[in-house]
Amino acid sequence: MVIIKIIKLSKDLVIGAWSLIKGLVITLKNCFIPAITLQYPAQKQPMTDRFRGLVDLHPEKCIICYQCVKICPVACLAIAHKQENNKKVISEFKYNMELCCFCGMCQQVCPTSAIYMNKIYEISVYDRDKTHINLLNPGKYIEWLNTSIK
Amino acid sequence: MNTSQTKDICTEEFLINMGPQHPSTHGVLSLELKLDGEMIRDCTAHIGYLHRSMEKLAENRTYTQFIPYTDRLDYVASMNNNMGYVMAVEKLLNLEISDRAKYIRVIAAELNRIASHLIAIGTFAQDLGAFATPLFYCFREREKIIDIFDQICGNRLTYNYMRIGGVQFDLPKGIDEKIKKFIKYMRSKVDDYDWLLTYNTIFLARSKHIGLLPKDLAINYSVSGPNLRASGVKWDLRKDEPYLVYEKLEFDIPVGENGDSWDRYKVRLEEIRQSLKIVEQALGALPEGDPTVKIGRIHKPSPSEIYLRTENPRGELGFFIISDGSAYPYRLKIRSPSFSNLAVLPELVKGLKIADIVCILGSLDILMGETDR
Repeated sequence: MVIIKIIKLSKDLVIGAWSLIKGLVITLKNCFIPAITLQYPAQKQPMTDRFRGLVDLHPEKCIICYQCVKICPVACLAIAHKQENNKKVISEFKYNMELCCFCGMCQQVCPTSAIYMNKIYEISVYDRDKTHINLLNPGKYIEWLNTSIK
Repeated sequence: MNTSQTKDICTEEFLINMGPQHPSTHGVLSLELKLDGEMIRDCTAHIGYLHRSMEKLAENRTYTQFIPYTDRLDYVASMNNNMGYVMAVEKLLNLEISDRAKYIRVIAAELNRIASHLIAIGTFAQDLGAFATPLFYCFREREKIIDIFDQICGNRLTYNYMRIGGVQFDLPKGIDEKIKKFIKYMRSKVDDYDWLLTYNTIFLARSKHIGLLPKDLAINYSVSGPNLRASGVKWDLRKDEPYLVYEKLEFDIPVGENGDSWDRYKVRLEEIRQSLKIVEQALGALPEGDPTVKIGRIHKPSPSEIYLRTENPRGELGFFIISDGSAYPYRLKIRSPSFSNLAVLPELVKGLKIADIVCILGSLDILMGETDR
């Protein structure tokens, strides 16, 4: 009985040691590959061409068709317009970043590519008021581009 | 301590709450365990912590507006959810899509299946005590898929790529080279996982013959996906009810023997290999054409009802839509695989140790996002 126990134990030990060695071989292999992590605040990954960041607007291209407002699933866009010399002029274009789900359907539906999504991805803010953005203000995202923390 | 003393000790069942903030419950799931010592006598799963009322929300959204919401059902396999929903609406509208769009959908869905299975394997290994190594390896490989998706559709998690009638963008230039490179890389890595995990003594001891799910029980509980196949039932909607171009592609359905936790892991690992095969074939046979479609803001199907199911990484994802002829669905029911897969958990854990519940939960690979919807 004792001999059988010893044989079984030694067999388990050998199998265990073998799987340990196998595991360590994989770990060792990975020791020699170059590092793939980026040192984040110093190094930043470039965003791809189709990246969907914050919603942005070319006010001169906008024809006030309300397509983006109608397609937005979470109703984060709000437009108002007024008549000037029988012509529509935007008076208000508000974007609630807090609600936005970054689906990008507004930029796809826009017939004149007036509304688009920029490459800003560091979008946390301390103040809730800052999530309500006036898209007609040309300097709206300057603050966001310069620092990581607002 | 002699036997006469132990007889006098009165023990009673102990109730313990596992979750909803437990790291091993894969989301906000609460398990109420009835314990006898370390033995589990009973288990009740309390769900609903991630309930967002998706089905009701769908009734107030147009068919197009609901696509981003499907991203949030099974958030590690958004492409497959997108595809399932969009295909259901296409069936409702009797819409034909271009061949190139079909192939692109297959490529996207299979890549996402690999990413999802990588998370399943990584977290399963982590739950069993292989603390960080396999998880980080899996996430490293998943990162490459996410990079591909980032180039294709512009987001890393909630893709919103599929459109009713096609896809949002055509594949960008040079992406096929990148995918081919990834397939080659991934094949060697799957072999690495085999070395590192599959036949590891500790891994086998923890997962083999734990959580046995017999064939008939799996079918009775309508378990689907890799969990069903691990029990030995050869049922895969890609083969049995082919949609898109799956009938033109060659692949096998991996099937397990016993239906234990190890089998469920092994089936997932094999499915990664098969998915790589599918992506390679689909990429080789990619036809020319325009897969993109102008986003239709309003679709008005005729009053009817349809049910369409697709094979998600976690199982059978079904969408049941009733249309009353307006631009909004009258009712949208989502049949999510995780819900049924979770329902079988109490049957599996009875009589096992408390440490095994973590193993079984990891091997079932449930996701609370689609369980609660």
